[in-house]
Amino acid sequence: MPDDNVTGGTHGPRIGVYVCHCGINIAYTVDVRRVAEVASSFPGVVVAKTYPYMCSEPGQSLIKTDIREHGLTTVVVAACSPRMHEPTFRAAVADAGINPYLFEMVNIREQCSWIHEHTEAATEKAIDLVRAGVARAALLAPLTEREVDVIPAALVIGGGIAGIQAALDIADAGFKVHLVEKEPTIGGHMAQLDKTFPTLDCSACILTPKMVDAGRHPNIDLMTYSRVTDVAGYVGNFKVTVTKKARYVDLDKCTNCGLCYENCPIRNVPQLREPSGIPSGLTDDDRKKLDEIIAARGEDEEELIQILQDVNNEYNYLPADALKYVGLRLGVPPATVYHVASFYTAFSLEPRGRRIVKVCVGTACHARGAMKVLEELERTLGIGPGETTEDMEYTLLTVNCLGCCALGPVVVVDDEYHSVLPGGVEAILAPKREE
Amino acid sequence: MRRIRDIADLSKVREEILAARDPDIRTVAVCCGTGCLACGSADVLEAFRREIASRDAARTVRLIATGCHGFCERGPLVVVRPAGVFYQRVGPEDVAEIVETSILGDGIVERLLYVDPTTGERIPREDDVPFYKHQMRLILGSNGSIDPTSIEDYIAIGGYGALAKALSTMTSDEIVDEITRSGLRGRGGGGFPTGKKWRSCLAAPGDVRYLICNADEGDPGAYMDRSILEGNPHSVLEGMIIGAYALGVREGYIYVREEYPLAVRHFTKALTDAREAGLLGEGVLGTDFSFDVSVERGGGAFVCGESTALMASIEGRAGEPRPKHIHTVESGLRGRPTVLNNVETWANVPLIIEKGADWYRGIGTEGSKGTKIFSLVGKVVNTGLVEIPMGVTLRDIVYDIGGGIRNGKRFKAVQTGGPSGGCVPESLLDLPVDFDRLTEAGSMMGSGGMIVMDEDNCMVDLARYFVGFLKNESCGKCTPCREGLRQMYDILTDICEGRGEERHVELLEYLAWGIQETSLCQLGATAPNPVLTTLRYFRDEYRAHIEDKRCPAGVCKALITYSIVPDSCTGCGACKKKCPADAISGVPKGVHVIDQEKCVKCGACLTACKFDAVVVE
Repeated sequence: MPDDNVTGGTHGPRIGVYVCHCGINIAYTVDVRRVAEVASSFPGVVVAKTYPYMCSEPGQSLIKTDIREHGLTTVVVAACSPRMHEPTFRAAVADAGINPYLFEMVNIREQCSWIHEHTEAATEKAIDLVRAGVARAALLAPLTEREVDVIPAALVIGGGIAGIQAALDIADAGFKVHLVEKEPTIGGHMAQLDKTFPTLDCSACILTPKMVDAGRHPNIDLMTYSRVTDVAGYVGNFKVTVTKKARYVDLDKCTNCGLCYENCPIRNVPQLREPSGIPSGLTDDDRKKLDEIIAARGEDEEELIQILQDVNNEYNYLPADALKYVGLRLGVPPATVYHVASFYTAFSLEPRGRRIVKVCVGTACHARGAMKVLEELERTLGIGPGETTEDMEYTLLTVNCLGCCALGPVVVVDDEYHSVLPGGVEAILAPKREE
Repeated sequence: MRRIRDIADLSKVREEILAARDPDIRTVAVCCGTGCLACGSADVLEAFRREIASRDAARTVRLIATGCHGFCERGPLVVVRPAGVFYQRVGPEDVAEIVETSILGDGIVERLLYVDPTTGERIPREDDVPFYKHQMRLILGSNGSIDPTSIEDYIAIGGYGALAKALSTMTSDEIVDEITRSGLRGRGGGGFPTGKKWRSCLAAPGDVRYLICNADEGDPGAYMDRSILEGNPHSVLEGMIIGAYALGVREGYIYVREEYPLAVRHFTKALTDAREAGLLGEGVLGTDFSFDVSVERGGGAFVCGESTALMASIEGRAGEPRPKHIHTVESGLRGRPTVLNNVETWANVPLIIEKGADWYRGIGTEGSKGTKIFSLVGKVVNTGLVEIPMGVTLRDIVYDIGGGIRNGKRFKAVQTGGPSGGCVPESLLDLPVDFDRLTEAGSMMGSGGMIVMDEDNCMVDLARYFVGFLKNESCGKCTPCREGLRQMYDILTDICEGRGEERHVELLEYLAWGIQETSLCQLGATAPNPVLTTLRYFRDEYRAHIEDKRCPAGVCKALITYSIVPDSCTGCGACKKKCPADAISGVPKGVHVIDQEKCVKCGACLTACKFDAVVVE
């Protein structure tokens, strides 16, 4: 038996709302009675009820009875996913004499009760979902089913690896595929990659056989250097316009001899781009300094870390333009330079203060209260580890071990080692700060 | 110093150096290791220089700035030889008196001597100080007596003799056999037999081989490699040259972490001097064997202590390890066979060659031969570097050498092996320390960090500290290490901040297992050790955090409160003055009170109170 029964307004479509407990699946989190109570006041709703298992036989007969007794024109069930029970309820309402498409299902289980833990909020959400469902239900029109012929063929737009694979799978299943690609060749971005994540396999090794397969598959109609310019029709009966770009070669007659290419007077041979210019942020002086550093270490990509060390010492950090310049000189891609620069803690990508305060947080120092010293420094300087004071005077850093373990906690200020006990921070900072 | 022409010439050069020196001259050795420098030994050295100059005594006394003597706790240290008088905690103001009494005269400045805390007796000679007396300083021994920047000093004490012996009387095979027979195992952490490593490298095909000295001493709490490089760089270099000769290597590298600038300076000086002396470069000691070494500065990444990551870093790339189904002895640096050993291992090589494998085998235990240097630090009275034969018990180290726990507190555990190691509890204090025993106890030797913990150290906090450390240092290449450690850290943080749940302990063990089994390199595979050993030996503490929401050691901020005991408070106001949060109120001479709402739990009041009135619960 239904455990609640509320009736509401009477004009327009006559909607019945049924909120399912789904045992405790929904009712444990969502206050279903309150959902029904609020739903009863939505426009068009004449009846709103809850029931422990709406999909059960008694649950379905409850709906059928109401359709007859209240003269419902439309039914809304708030329960699980439509994938689960939409067919069940459509059959039920059809059984009671109304068009099965005048039924709307609201998912308050998978999309609400199962993923929330606070009853209050979940109930509010469920009410909103039902409100939307009722609003949609009011606009439903009866539908009839009929059968139409479809053309068993597919269009795949884009000949990258995903497009190629999709085309191959459909074609292998025995259907015709039209594969449209805007570039002169299929392959897409993957053809430009060296390796692929996460296995670091060679991308050409994966891609090339698939490109060849797609090119010669009897079910694939490959249209390169083409664009889709219009799509009309509907599922199973699309009408698509594809514009092929000019080729100036009659493909039906071409024998692929290559003579036209050989004889072309203005042949476009792809060329490597000139290395881009010197980063604009560098002065002549900067370049001179960097050139000296590079010359001292040697123009060898193996020297990258050593060169970055020197640059870091020179500028107190690694300016972005200096990184670009070093990469350019060593022939190392900017991404690799950045990878190295951001990997090692010795490098800073941000400008640092004139005085660098390093707090050792090695085990021996930790055991003797390094964290308290660090907190004290944070309070005194007003900055956290890795930060720099606004006046660019101090940068506070933590280091894993300074190798001065017998005297911990150890703090290094401007390369001078201090053994500092909690409470002794002022003393090591004081002398120079007052100057 | 002049260039050494050939092997026989080395002993002539040594005689020349010794002949030029007055054997009776007084030597003042001022320790200028990083520890003593932090205590102000640079000023002491300068004071000696001025004092000696002003007394016009430069001819009768030799002043040297040495590397680390080991007893960092009592720095700055000064030793006057040949008598071997040991002065500790020396300040610049003491210098004039030392010069007057001990250098120009034969007396002793009593007040600067080390006082044995148990007997109250003043100990004049360095060798009699208990801290040194129980050690066997084969590697560190020369640190206190030679100037690390002088190749003459090293040659004068017999340095490069082992190299001469190897070049003149031994073949490549004989050297590798000698090292194998000696039972030397890698001092960097893993404890892999050095001879076996060399043999595999020698067997690997290819003409070009490399040799690397790993000085990326990343384990926090360990600094013996730093001290060897700073105090006796030539001993490491000699080991490397012998290794190069045995393995047919022409190019060697030393990878030093960037936090060790002094080590880089001293080793670079050693390289220059050795080249000029004909010990390095084309035609070592007049033979047709050539070898040279370059210094590579690390970038401050813990993972670069791992061999494949270190090699990637030398190649100028990010230090990410690679799977090691092909060993680095076959395909290492630039894909060539490469032998990598750490600083202390290389420093052992000349000793073995000079004195023979049989002598070396006589020291240590069944599976671990020779001595090992430990950095004995943390809550122990005598902190510093300790070199002992393998097999000495933890109790001897902590109590006989270390002098027990500071401030009369109770011993809790020793953390060994760095972040990959574990905690050894009080019940295992009689454990003989060697590679195998420590592994059995769930910890490991690592590079030799030995951090002593007392009752004020929270073991859950410590586990969280190590996992946090490794989480930050994980290179991120493999998922178990990168993500697994982050999850473990979050769970440990929850436990430390009072959100611990029953299931957390089991979850930690499950994650630890997964990370150990599936990580790419040893950083990940050993990362759960600190958690597993603390869980094994200190499960009660985890339970207290999780069930009672209590931190027995008084460390985890969310679980403790500071308060003032009214009976002990004298109303001096010291705590009130130090409190950064203005959380303490009270009138002078009245009982003070901490406002728990405002308290940030920084512990400043606890440090400030001289009457033990501040308590933490």
